[in-house]
Amino acid sequence: MRVRDLSEALGIELIQPEFEDTEILDGYTGDLLSDVMAHASSGSVLITIQAHKNTIAVAGLVGILAIIVANERPIPEDMVEAARKEKIAIFRSKESQFVLSGKLYAQLSSSR
Amino acid sequence: MSTIPINTQESPPFLLDLIYRLKVKDVMTHEVITARRETPLRQIQYIMKEKGITGVPITDDEGKRLFGIVSMDDIIRALDGGYIQDPAERWMSRNLIVLEDDMPLQFAISYLDKFRYGRFPVLNKDRELVGIITSRDIIIALLVEVNKEVEKLEQRIVQPPSRPGEEARLLYHVRKYDFENAGKASAGIKKLLLERNLDPKTLRRISVAAYELEMNLVVHSEGGTLSFRMEKDRVEIEAKDRGPGIPDVEQAMEEGFSTANEWIRSLGFGAGMGLPNAKRVSDEFTIDSRVGEGTTVRAVIYLPK
Amino acid sequence: MKLETILQRIPCTVVVKGKGFEELDLRSIVASDLMSDVLTTVDDRFLIVTSLNSEQVIRTADIVGAPVVLLVNGKQPQNGMVRLAEEFGITLLSTPLSMYKVCYLLGCLLESK
Repeated sequence: MRVRDLSEALGIELIQPEFEDTEILDGYTGDLLSDVMAHASSGSVLITIQAHKNTIAVAGLVGILAIIVANERPIPEDMVEAARKEKIAIFRSKESQFVLSGKLYAQLSSSR
Repeated sequence: MSTIPINTQESPPFLLDLIYRLKVKDVMTHEVITARRETPLRQIQYIMKEKGITGVPITDDEGKRLFGIVSMDDIIRALDGGYIQDPAERWMSRNLIVLEDDMPLQFAISYLDKFRYGRFPVLNKDRELVGIITSRDIIIALLVEVNKEVEKLEQRIVQPPSRPGEEARLLYHVRKYDFENAGKASAGIKKLLLERNLDPKTLRRISVAAYELEMNLVVHSEGGTLSFRMEKDRVEIEAKDRGPGIPDVEQAMEEGFSTANEWIRSLGFGAGMGLPNAKRVSDEFTIDSRVGEGTTVRAVIYLPK
Repeated sequence: MKLETILQRIPCTVVVKGKGFEELDLRSIVASDLMSDVLTTVDDRFLIVTSLNSEQVIRTADIVGAPVVLLVNGKQPQNGMVRLAEEFGITLLSTPLSMYKVCYLLGCLLESK
């Protein structure tokens, strides 16, 4: 599954559409950026409610392809701006981190 | 290669605050000794010896654009391989891992641990070389900061006597960044209410309001008091602090707006949900704030008859 | 979903056995590292999945009536966290799995109940 497939596969809204459309390798869920930095692997999709421009900085370092903001948390404009520069997609969903994790995991394992 | 013996996630709060608060540019060496692409490795070896350094960035004539880096290891390999007279360009490491000057120090520590290089070139927003950072720089900066910090955190609990018309009254002193004791005031309030057999829904609303206001004092204020007053038909929680004050209260009430730094966020707070949360569970909610003086937040929850 | 089922099906260790450990029945799952987010939940009797290993998790669990906390990424709870869990009677578990993976597994259990 590629980044552009996420919207339809998970029923989530695309907020930042300028991204590199590559193959998704894994997922990671977490709201602590230090934790994401320590554990998330390159080529992952990050599920979080930490809607902040620093999330993009960490995502860029780790090599995260896309961020799904859960619980319909508001997304600040400077976060979208930073993501555009880094070519990281942002999606938003009203579902929780728990539900989104389950859905993404199921999708990724069935598309392999 | 030596790493910095600091756990960047689980060290004491003071240290975590420090490594988020300090930026790479506060810690790095600003005067970078560089060489050109055509500089022979032999000359770089002399530079290292003379200046007592173990890595030399290779840049353009202005020392701004970074092409690579020659480390002590590269020099040793050149001596072994008999190509010490070759120009730097031929053998320098080009796969560079660099830091940005605005990143928190925590990133630099993680990088040193993760990549096991002895040094990282530091670039500014325009991708110009502005410094170099080694574990030595970091250790010195941390020692200086830790020496500055002496104040111990403490929390006192005071229980003033009840006044007429009041069922109960509690007053707690809350200190800035005192995560050790954070939550104790609201736990005390909850305990008192449990003894009075309040219905679980109301109890939960009061607990959420008390906890969020208490955490707000810990995370954002210079310290203050959390007071609790119970009357026949209502409970009032008041968080009063000594500063810094909220410049724009309306903005502070917006969900997601936060002034918390990266360290506070790493502890799971400061995502801009606290005040909106407290308001949501309250029947009356007011904020009175003056920049430079302080803030008083008052939350009232009506008790069911 | 019975806690017993979770213990059987999810690789995890029990750090603290809380109140009513043997017959705990959970209605839902909340996965988050931000405790303010957990505090907005209207439900109770849910399991908190988190990578945050501080006392504040237990205080939050106590306020919202979540009887079980599951720490992910093999995180060891801070001392104060264990002490507080014992005091408040909250069951504390730890798993080497990530939040992402464990949410999927818990989701499967929740659906198959």
